[in-house]
Amino acid sequence: MKLSFYPGCSLEGMANDYCESIYAVFKTLGIDLVEIEDWSCCGATAAHSLSEIMSVILPARNLAAAEKMGLDIICPCSLCFNRLRFSQKMIKKKIFHIPWQVTGDIRVLDMTRFLAKPSIIQLIKQCILKPLDSLKVVCYYGCQMVRPPKITGYADYENPQTLDRISAAAGARVLDWSYKSTCCGASIGIGRREIVEFLSKRILQKSRQAGAEAIVVSCPLCQSNLDIVQKDRSDTPTPIFYVTELLRLSFKDKGNPKWFKMHVADPVPVLKAKGLL
Amino acid sequence: MHTSTSDPETATEHDPCEQRELIGDRGDYFLNRIQGETGVNVSACYQCERCTNACPISQFMDIKPHQIIRYVQLGWRIRLLKSSTIWICLSCEMCTTYCPNEVDVAEIINHLRMMAASSSIAPKEKSLAVFHQTFLEELIKSGRVNEFRLMRAYYSKPDILHEKIKNGTFKQELQLAMTLFRKGRLKLSAPKSKAVKEIQKAYSQTRGEII
Repeated sequence: MKLSFYPGCSLEGMANDYCESIYAVFKTLGIDLVEIEDWSCCGATAAHSLSEIMSVILPARNLAAAEKMGLDIICPCSLCFNRLRFSQKMIKKKIFHIPWQVTGDIRVLDMTRFLAKPSIIQLIKQCILKPLDSLKVVCYYGCQMVRPPKITGYADYENPQTLDRISAAAGARVLDWSYKSTCCGASIGIGRREIVEFLSKRILQKSRQAGAEAIVVSCPLCQSNLDIVQKDRSDTPTPIFYVTELLRLSFKDKGNPKWFKMHVADPVPVLKAKGLL
Repeated sequence: MHTSTSDPETATEHDPCEQRELIGDRGDYFLNRIQGETGVNVSACYQCERCTNACPISQFMDIKPHQIIRYVQLGWRIRLLKSSTIWICLSCEMCTTYCPNEVDVAEIINHLRMMAASSSIAPKEKSLAVFHQTFLEELIKSGRVNEFRLMRAYYSKPDILHEKIKNGTFKQELQLAMTLFRKGRLKLSAPKSKAVKEIQKAYSQTRGEII
């Protein structure tokens, strides 16, 4: 199987560990990821906030490149996924002139939904060497991956299940909680730190109340917000794992603590206590 | 106008001493313009406040989401563009998702933000507005956005550094940047996209420049 891969800017910078773990996991699963040639930024919140037309044509450039390759796009970052889908919808409406040759017919998949397909879940289960059955986790989806449902195509936007299914396949004990898709504050910390702290601390607190030892995410911005808000904490940290990091951990016989050096909330003590490293 | 006072004893619907504000332009021009540009049926709102109740940060807003919709109906353009709500909205789409009448509240707020950005009104949340602008500039410059370059460009914007030092957040952010750098998360450089020229051309065209 071959898919085109749109990493997005975060995966080159702050979320480089996410990128590495994705490549490692897909290699184990035997699925080829081909990075979209010469991809560019999707415009993120800035284009969305300041210029409607830029928020359509910036993602369209990447859609055009993927169409040339003729491969469905897989997108690990929630916001990139949302922007690509949005752009696709606007291209179909034909109300903007797009400077690139693009039809918008290619499929844009968010990575978790691809991995949560029954056939891929089967594949994941076959690759598990070390089930994480002692680790209690909650899954956190954030906003952009599930909402608005008309763009993302999630029918179960109130109680999404993709991350839950993948984490369960890796053997983790997935707990139910109510804050799966409550906003973490996104990039508002730049100007209004107190808002992002209010939102992220509440999510952390609720995850602890649910009994979770770690949070599983798929969005680079959610990960950094929930991770960074723990920088001054003195008690046991709640590590924030990318879903692919969890899979990679279960695909290997012996874990390597070096993988987790990029985390602010250090996951090594929790994993060592559970005998997973 | 809706009052946010929850105490039924002291709450009055209209303060008798307050000068009543007229409907924006004594017509529905603003409402029609917004509805036409966004394709959202703003008139369908019956003020059930579901959007405000769903909003995770409505307590930080000066004009609540349901009030935004009402003000659009009333044509109170200046008030809307001067509000901090349009800048702190996270676009988390809770309001849009839960509206029983399918009013796309987040899209309206986003549209107001674009209107404010291209108007002469000074944004109430300057630091956020400048951040968006810097992001777009960095994007146009190199096709992709690198966090370090972005933050460096952001801090060299007029007043931003000064404001951060004054309210004491600069030291915190510097410490955070150091931590992230030590952890290897802050990459000092990133490859540029080869498409910079194409993107720059498209950008100048969207701004009405012919050549």
